[in-house]
Amino acid sequence: MSAEIAAIIAHAEVLRSDARALAACAERLRAIEAELKAGGGAPDWLHASVTAHLAACAAAAADLETAAQRLSRYADKASP
Amino acid sequence: MTGRNAPDAGRLRTAARELVDVALTIQEAAAHATAALTDVAPLRALPQAPSAAWPAYRALLRTTTNGQGLGCAFTGGGRLSTAAAKAGAMVGAESLAVRVLATSLRLRVAAVAVAHPELTADPMLARLIDAAAADRDLEAVRALRALLKDRGAVRALSQLAPVFGEVLALRALLDENPLNDAAAWLIATGKGFATADPITGMSNRAIAVLDTGEGAARRIELTAAESARLCTRGSLLGFLGNISALGTTGRALIQSVEGPDGVIRHVLQAPGMRVGRPDGESPQDLLGAFSSAVLASSPYSRALAEAVADYGPPPGAELALVGHSAGGAAIMNLAQDPGFCARHTVTHAVAIGSPVDFKRPAGTWVASVTNQHDIIPTLDGQGAGTCFDLHPDWYVVDYGDSTHLFPLCHSIDHYRANLADDLPEARDLIDERLTPYRGRVVRSQAYLLFDRAPEPEGSPFLTVPTRAFDGPEGTVDLPIRCRDRDALTAYFAVHPAATAGLLEGTGLGPAVQVAGRVLVAVHVARNRHTTVGGYGELQVGVVVPGPFRRHRRSPAWPDLLRAADLRRSGSFLVGSAVDTPIMRALGPRLWGGETYLTPLEIRLGARSAHVTADLILTLRGRLGPGLPLSDPGLVGYAREGGAVLRSCVRTRGRARLHAAPSLRLVVEPRSAHPLADRLRELGLDGARPLLCLSATTLQTLRDTAVPVPPG
Repeated sequence: MSAEIAAIIAHAEVLRSDARALAACAERLRAIEAELKAGGGAPDWLHASVTAHLAACAAAAADLETAAQRLSRYADKASP
Repeated sequence: MTGRNAPDAGRLRTAARELVDVALTIQEAAAHATAALTDVAPLRALPQAPSAAWPAYRALLRTTTNGQGLGCAFTGGGRLSTAAAKAGAMVGAESLAVRVLATSLRLRVAAVAVAHPELTADPMLARLIDAAAADRDLEAVRALRALLKDRGAVRALSQLAPVFGEVLALRALLDENPLNDAAAWLIATGKGFATADPITGMSNRAIAVLDTGEGAARRIELTAAESARLCTRGSLLGFLGNISALGTTGRALIQSVEGPDGVIRHVLQAPGMRVGRPDGESPQDLLGAFSSAVLASSPYSRALAEAVADYGPPPGAELALVGHSAGGAAIMNLAQDPGFCARHTVTHAVAIGSPVDFKRPAGTWVASVTNQHDIIPTLDGQGAGTCFDLHPDWYVVDYGDSTHLFPLCHSIDHYRANLADDLPEARDLIDERLTPYRGRVVRSQAYLLFDRAPEPEGSPFLTVPTRAFDGPEGTVDLPIRCRDRDALTAYFAVHPAATAGLLEGTGLGPAVQVAGRVLVAVHVARNRHTTVGGYGELQVGVVVPGPFRRHRRSPAWPDLLRAADLRRSGSFLVGSAVDTPIMRALGPRLWGGETYLTPLEIRLGARSAHVTADLILTLRGRLGPGLPLSDPGLVGYAREGGAVLRSCVRTRGRARLHAAPSLRLVVEPRSAHPLADRLRELGLDGARPLLCLSATTLQTLRDTAVPVPPG
C-alpha cells in the first residue's frame, strides 16, 4: 500500500472517530442542559442555544461520517 | 462581601467548563477535517481514482463549511487553513466550536450575575451583554456608548469589571476581526494569558517588548513621615501598609523580621503601577505593568531582583514576597524564576489585585486577593467569571464589595481596608501562613527602581577633570558645574552712540550691528544646582565679533551660532549682578569685571518670562513661539586692568529662539544703582528685544576666563 493510500485511510479513520465524538458531544450538551434545569438555575436563553448546538452537532457528525465513507471509497478505488 | 461559592453559580460554572470541553472536541474534529482537506498526500492519489476523489473532497469541503454543522471550521497550523479561517471570520462565518464557546462565556456571565444581580438587573448593562453575546456589533457599540454617556467611563468599566473578560471575549469571538480570535479563544478556554488585546487583536507582547531594560535598583532614604508609617512588626496588614506608605512612586521596600523562632527572614514589598505616561526610567509605569503581567521576566521584576541582591540576604535565606497590582505580577515573576529561587528560599508570594492567573511559581505558597470590580486582575483574561480552577494549590480570595468604582477599588488602601474589616478569615489565614514573618522588624531599606541603571548625575557632560581654586570664601572646584539652569538672553538694538567708547582699546572690533544699530545682550540665568550652590545672574554686554578676525567685513551672525568653545563673537561685559555673596566674591576673580549683589527673580516659562533685578530692572512679557535649537552656550569678554579676558559657558541642552518676543525691559525708576544708570545710558529703558534665546534645564561648565593675547 502506498503512502498516499495509507494517508487517506488514516484521515478516514480519524474522521469516523470524530463523527462518534460529535455524537457524544450532543449527548453531553443534553446532559448539561438537563442538569442545569434540574438545579433550577438554567438561564432562559439556554434551551434555544443548546437546541441549536445539538442540531449542529448532529449535522456535523453526519458530515464527518459521510466524508469518512467517501475517503474510504477513494482509498479503495485508488488502491492498485 | 460576595464570593464565588453560591450553589447556582457553581453549577453554571461547571456547565461552562463542560461546554469548553465540548468546544475543544469540536475544534479538534474541525482541525482533522481541515487537515484531510489540505493534506497533499491524498491529492497525489487523485490520478488513480478521480471519480472517487471528487466526492471525497466535496464531502470534506462541506464538512468544513456547512453552516448547519461545523460552520466555518478551517483551523490548524497550515497557512492555507489559517488564511481560510481568517477569511471566514471576516465575513462573520463562525464555527460551531466558537458558538459553543460563546454559550460557555454566557454561562460564565450568568454565574457572575448570581453574585452581582446588578449585571442583569441593570437594563443598560444587560443590553450591552446581550448585544455582545448575540453578535450584534452595532447594537453592542450603541449600548456601550449609552452606558458610557449615562455612567461615565469610570463607572461603566467598574460595573462591567466582574464580566469584563467574558464580554470582551464574546465580542472578539463573534466579531469580524480575525486578529483577536486567538486572544478570545485563550480567555474562553483558560488555556493561557490573553496574548492580544481582545478588541483590536494587537499583541500584548508587542506592547510589552517596548518595556526594555535590564532593571536596576538604588538605595534611597525614606522621608521621616514615610519611615514613621512603616510597620514595626511583620503582618499582612503591616506589609500592605508599607506599600501604601511607599505609594506608586517607583520605589520598593525590603524588611528583615525576626520570626517567633528567632530566625531573621526578609520580606520584599512591591507597589503597583505609577499613574501617568510611560517613561523610560521607572519600571513601575504602564508598560511595566503590561510586561510584568505578560512576560515571565520584566524590567520591574529584574529591578526587584537587583534590590534583593543589594540588600544582601544570606544565601538560602527565607524570603516572602508581597506585591500589589503590577507589583504582584512582578513578585510572581521572581517566584517562578529558577535563578532567583536558587539564590533565595522564596516561601510565600502574596499578590493583591494583580493579574497573576498564568504565573507558575513552584514550591511557593501563593495567595491571590482580588476584588471582582477591579479590572486590573482581569487583564490576563480571567476574572470573576472564570470557570477554571487554574491553581488548586493557591489560596485565592476573589470577593466583591459595595464599592464598585475603579480605580478606588484597586487602591492598596481599599484592599487593606477590605482585609482589615470585611475579610477577617482571609486575613487571618494569610497571617497564619506568614507566621514565620510575624515578628519584630529589625531592618528596613527602600529602593528606587529603574528600567536600566541610571547614568551618574551629569554624566557624561559634567564628568570632567577638576581642580581646586582658592576663592575669597574658601576652596571651590573648577570648572563650576551646573546640572540645572534656566537662561534667557534678550538681544536689543541700541543707537551706536550709546556704546561709543565702550570697546575702545579692546581689539574686539566694532560692535555687531543690525540695520545701523548696535546689538546689546541682556542675559539672565537661574543656576539651580551647581558645585558652588544655586545662584542667579544678570549680565549686560555689547555683542562683538571678537578678536583676530581675518575678514573684518564678513558678517558676525554665523559665528554667533557656533559652539561656545569655537566662537570668537560674544558679549563684551558692561555690567553684571548676582544674588549670592559667594558668587559676588568669586565672579570678578574668575571672569573679571565688576559684579553687583542684588536679589534676582527669574521665572522662565515656555512662552513667557518674568525677570526682576532689585533696583535695576524688570524684563517681562511673552516670548512667543520658539524655534528649537541646540543651546550654543555663551562667550563673554571683560576688561580687567589693561587686559581683556575671554570666558566661556559650555552648555548641553535645548534652547528656543523666539523671533517675535513682546517683552519689555523697564529700568527701575529713580534707581541710582550703577547698573540701572548703565542701562539708561544704553537706551534700554522701555526697550523691546529684537529676539530672545530661552533655555530650561541646561547643564553648564564654566571655567576661569583667560586673557586675550594682544593683537
